[in-house]
Amino acid sequence: MTKTIDYAALQSELDTIITAMQREDADIDASLRDYARGLVIIKQLEDYLQTAENTVTELKASLIKD
Amino acid sequence: MTPDDALDVELGVSDFVALLNQTMEYAYPSVIITGELANLRVSKNRWVYFDLKDDSSSVKFFATIYQLPGPLENGMILRVRGAPKLHNLYGFSVTVASMQPAGEGTIKRAAELLEAKLLQEGLFDPTRKRTLPYPPRHIGLIASRQSAAYADFVKILDARWQGTDISLIDVQVQGEPAPNQIIAALEQFNKLSSPPDVLVMIRGGGSPEDMAAFSTEQVTRAVAASRIPTLVAIGHEVDVCLAELAADVRGSTPSNAAELLVPDRQYVLTELYAAGLRLHELMLQRVKTGRVHQTQQAELLTASMLTQLAHASQSLRTRHQLLSALSPQAILQRGYALVRRDTHVVRRGADLVAGDGVTLEFADTEVRALINERKP
Repeated sequence: MTKTIDYAALQSELDTIITAMQREDADIDASLRDYARGLVIIKQLEDYLQTAENTVTELKASLIKD
Repeated sequence: MTPDDALDVELGVSDFVALLNQTMEYAYPSVIITGELANLRVSKNRWVYFDLKDDSSSVKFFATIYQLPGPLENGMILRVRGAPKLHNLYGFSVTVASMQPAGEGTIKRAAELLEAKLLQEGLFDPTRKRTLPYPPRHIGLIASRQSAAYADFVKILDARWQGTDISLIDVQVQGEPAPNQIIAALEQFNKLSSPPDVLVMIRGGGSPEDMAAFSTEQVTRAVAASRIPTLVAIGHEVDVCLAELAADVRGSTPSNAAELLVPDRQYVLTELYAAGLRLHELMLQRVKTGRVHQTQQAELLTASMLTQLAHASQSLRTRHQLLSALSPQAILQRGYALVRRDTHVVRRGADLVAGDGVTLEFADTEVRALINERKP
């Protein structure tokens, strides 16, 4: 993995953002900032998951090769 | 007094008995007489009376029951050592010092009688047999140092196994003193504070008379009573002595005794090498099995990890969709417009009055507008 992130912490932050945006009195401007932050988090998490999948596949291949 | 009387010695009866005994004690303090046993009689379970005879003579003997070499019966040939004595009341007899069966037939018969007696007592019972320590660290050896049997035993023991301590008690293995020396050696080993692991008694081949000491009742009982496990090997394969039957293990020959006591080093090394190979094969098999198992585990682990990642991806997609649906931009895309006055969002129409300038933010652009009227 090229970059170590705290997956659980980021996911928790994303959930917090979504919960805030679901509130009826959510501030539009805050929602816009949250939305942008949410997209960044999603990108990070997607990258992480992809890297993790690649690592797993590589590890398995090296294990069987040995 | 006649001239003849002058040469004679005139004595009272007791004086004569005393003189004769004194004379015999001086001239023949100990004699060995061999003859056929007759008139054997045991009195009060303690005193033994018997005659020894040949074709023309018969002599009386007196002994205690403890001096008997074993069960006897009339007709046997005995070799008796004793002191001739004239008793003041009962006449002439030989007081026995020791006695052994003599002649092949008698020795065999005496051994048969003794064997039957000891067998009935349970001295040869297989349940009494103890297992010898294998290999022993310390051997107590009862043998004649000058014998070929001793040399063979030590030679074979050293050739097969080394590092075994041997404590020898040198004894006569034939003749009259043999039984007492053998018994003393057995007792001496058994009294040691650090006794040997095993007692070994050996003797080479010989005539039945030569080996008779190892079939005496006293030696046989001493072997059976030994606290230390015993191995006895007397004579050749065909020779069986009673001490061998009483021993925990019988060796057919002294050489065989050494073979029974310790393993052959070369054989043990071969066995160890074979065991090492087997261990190696087992380890390889174990590694092979482990590798198959590990591969299966790796498959499971990978599948689990990929499944978890798939779930995480799905969860992330769901959140992404939710986030997109909640974004103000998405709402504007559906045809709504955001009303701002200055930079603040106007949430209620009541906050506006005629003449207010506002900005309408659409999905594609923003427009400026002026409020004409607010309906009540």
